Amino acid sequence: MTDRQTNLLQGTLDLLILKSLALGELHGLGVARRVEQITRGTFQVKPGSLFPALYRMEEAGWLTSSWGASENNRRAKYYKLTAAGRKQLDAETSEWKRIAVAIGFALQAT
Amino acid sequence: MSPFSQTPSRLRSALRNLFTRPHVERELDADVRAYVDLLTDEKVRAGMDRNDARRAALVELGGIERVKDEVREVRTGAVLETTARDVRYAIRTLIRRPGFTVVAVIALALGIGATSAIFSVVNGVLLRPLPYRDPDGLVVILHEGRNPVAPANYLDWKRQSSLFSSFGAAEYWSGTVTGDVPERVQGLKVTSDVLAMTGVRPLIGRSFRADDDATTGDLPIILSWGYWQRRFAGKPDILGTSLIVSGTSYTVVGVMPRGFDFPMFWAPGVQMWTPLALGERASSRQSQSLRLFARLRRDASLEAAQAQMSAIAANLERAFPGTNPAVTVTPLATMVVGDIRTALLVLLGAVGFVLLIACANVAHMLLARASARHREMTVRLALGASRARLLRQLLTESVVLALVGGTLGIALARLGLRTLVALAGTSLPRADAIGLDLYVLAVTTVISLLTGLGFGLLPALRVSRSEMSEALRDGARGSTEGAGRSRIRSILVASEIALALVLLAGAGLAMRSFAALRAIDPGFDPRGVLSAVVSLYGTAEAPPGRRDAFYTSTLERVRQLPGVESASLINHLPIAGDIWGLQFLIEGRPRPRPADVPRSTFRVVYPGYFATMRLPLLRGRDVAETDRADAPRVVVVNDFFARRYWPNEDAVGKRVTFNPAAPAPTWFTVVGVVKNDVQSDWSAPAQEEVFLPYSQEREYLQSDGGHVGYMTLVVRTSCGAVRACNPASLAPAIRDAVGSLDRSVPVTDVQTMEDVITGANARPRFTLVLLATFAAVALVLAAVGIYGVISYAVSRRTHEIGVRVALGASPSAVVRLVVAQGMRVVTVGVVIGLAGALLASRLMTQLVYGVRVTDPMTYVGVAALLGAVALVASYIPARRATRIDPLAAMRTD
Repeated sequence: MTDRQTNLLQGTLDLLILKSLALGELHGLGVARRVEQITRGTFQVKPGSLFPALYRMEEAGWLTSSWGASENNRRAKYYKLTAAGRKQLDAETSEWKRIAVAIGFALQAT
Repeated sequence: MSPFSQTPSRLRSALRNLFTRPHVERELDADVRAYVDLLTDEKVRAGMDRNDARRAALVELGGIERVKDEVREVRTGAVLETTARDVRYAIRTLIRRPGFTVVAVIALALGIGATSAIFSVVNGVLLRPLPYRDPDGLVVILHEGRNPVAPANYLDWKRQSSLFSSFGAAEYWSGTVTGDVPERVQGLKVTSDVLAMTGVRPLIGRSFRADDDATTGDLPIILSWGYWQRRFAGKPDILGTSLIVSGTSYTVVGVMPRGFDFPMFWAPGVQMWTPLALGERASSRQSQSLRLFARLRRDASLEAAQAQMSAIAANLERAFPGTNPAVTVTPLATMVVGDIRTALLVLLGAVGFVLLIACANVAHMLLARASARHREMTVRLALGASRARLLRQLLTESVVLALVGGTLGIALARLGLRTLVALAGTSLPRADAIGLDLYVLAVTTVISLLTGLGFGLLPALRVSRSEMSEALRDGARGSTEGAGRSRIRSILVASEIALALVLLAGAGLAMRSFAALRAIDPGFDPRGVLSAVVSLYGTAEAPPGRRDAFYTSTLERVRQLPGVESASLINHLPIAGDIWGLQFLIEGRPRPRPADVPRSTFRVVYPGYFATMRLPLLRGRDVAETDRADAPRVVVVNDFFARRYWPNEDAVGKRVTFNPAAPAPTWFTVVGVVKNDVQSDWSAPAQEEVFLPYSQEREYLQSDGGHVGYMTLVVRTSCGAVRACNPASLAPAIRDAVGSLDRSVPVTDVQTMEDVITGANARPRFTLVLLATFAAVALVLAAVGIYGVISYAVSRRTHEIGVRVALGASPSAVVRLVVAQGMRVVTVGVVIGLAGALLASRLMTQLVYGVRVTDPMTYVGVAALLGAVALVASYIPARRATRIDPLAAMRTD
């Protein structure tokens, strides 16, 4: 994420990572690129935020990891959602929607 | 998701992180490096040169180590792991600077060790509750806080008081148990309430019952664990065994548990208990031999009990004048601890000062190092370490230092504690409760940790606040150190000086007080005198008609032993022995009111006692063999007695009586006056004392009682004066001499008169030695502190001093310059210290003898001593400053 976005709600990064992994397993750089892609380039996740988040979420049991070969045959660690991770994604998605609606109302209020 | 559902996963992670750390680290490293590789590939695909791509990828990453660090921070167990890393780093740093580390650890070990040792004593003596059930409710009832009570008073008090749930009496008792080796055994006669109120059950058998108090036939007896082990080898079927004590048969009904001791402040280490039967003594208000113990009712206060007892005694005093002096109700714990509480609290305060000084010392050593580490810290800050991170690491270093010092300190405390308890001797109650138990260890650990934080916080805050510009400036110029840090170090050293001065003043007062105690003339000459108790009670020699003959033969044999110059007997040895009093009247003087009849200590002696003790006869003569029972009664009085009652006359030839109430009193003629001797308390002022010849003393000649069944042998040996030897070496010969007359007669309590006096001064010596030790440690630490500050200042001012020398400053001017800087700090410290010492001196009031606590000599003396030491400590670095080569000094830039 760029500096301007570091103040985003805690959990946004988690939600984005969970969402990016929902379609299948990815390695670290892959996660970063997928987040960039699905947010249309608004969020650029830097390794200094990415890796702590990945390890934290793995310890929480939302992700598992395994070593595999990359597209151009490099050894890389691939992250995958667990069942708990999917549940977390659902929970955070609905939570996010609720907040988005609430903030929307708030901003429209006169 | 609830935090709990994550727990198993987190727990697994924490365990993995902690126990498979190398593996986890490798995996993290590979993960981050893979990221760099993939990113590089991506950039190469976008058309970059591979080397440029790699460099760009690394820049984008922001440093592999940094990313890894950030991951480590969020991982479960990260705190533990970071701490472990900090500890390892701290240990490496400390090992790299062995000089600093050793000095700091020694200072801390001394401070923490001494604190731990004194705290063990305070914990054992003052803090731990007495080993009885609900010990706070137990009280001791005596006359005037220390004198025993007569049986009739005991019974009246017990009957009339209403605020106690139990109320009992105990009387000291000793007897002879015959066997292969005859021995004198000490015990207590107690009413059945006494053991019951302690709440301590016998290990085997039963306690006393109310009906035991009236027993007349075969008397029950309860043994101590130690006596059961020693005499009966702990045989399990001890109950029902009969034991003959001084000719009376007792049946063992119980054994108390190991370590049981009651009431501690009196008759310590008794080995047996038997019921107290008052019999015909129940109506006596004269023979004051009972100590009373009671348990306060839960709803009664000590004050109420005291008020009630005072009222009861006042009523009885009206009915029976002269029989009920002031009654005191004192908590048992207060009696046990006695007046050592003040001494211990003063020592605890003193040792706390030593610890503070050690802390201040290590703190300014750390500050000195802080300058050296300035650049290290600045570089780390520049590389992105947070201040909190640096602070934590520096504090870890201090705590590691403190814990190493603490561990060493506990070892020191273990060693010191044994010495300390031995030094205190019998002056320290509850010595067996003193030890490095878990509680003390826990407190010591906490003290170590707090110490580490205490001395580490200030330097750590300073260092972690390093500013890059300051570091560059200071580091490059190497001139004078930052004014702020220099001031802090001066304040620390001034505080050390002030604390050390308070300790020195305390030690100085203790030393002067001890010198005053040493200067007390006991009246007699203790060197070369050996004493031993010869007990006839319960032996074949016990019948009244045989005793005098036995003692006389004993003296004949002992006097013939080689190395013996003279020998005699006295009933109660001065200082160590009992003190018995008698009321008396002077012939021809008006009879005072009953409550005002004067009392005198009285002792019973054989001829030659004064000569043997070298207690000078000032006038008249010693008691003599011619003072037979049928001859006119004679008495020798002390100088105090003679001067008080016949101030302007010769006492010799005057008459006194010791049964003032009798219609036809027996008159005793004063035949001699001896110098005052120390009777009981070493530093107590002289009181009336009279000496009666054994050959005329009716109680001793006729009574069957155990209280007159023994005498104390005093033997003047040629040791010390003629040849170098210990008088105690004659003990076997004396035992043999007594044994050759009758093998069943025990010889006990063998001690030299010098040991008796040493024992009497054990407490002031204990206080003095500890205070002096602490003061010495404080002085050394303070000296090291001044030396450190001045030599550091010199090293920082090398350039400036070089310039001064180049401009023509003489070596003495340089010395003055440096020493003056040191002495300014010392002066401030001394002034504050003197004020502190004067404030603290009030605490010493109870501890000193023969010197005022504000004694100017002491204060001037210790201030001068401290000043001199400080002068030397700053002179050494000053000398070094004079050897600075101005050219070299200026070239260092």
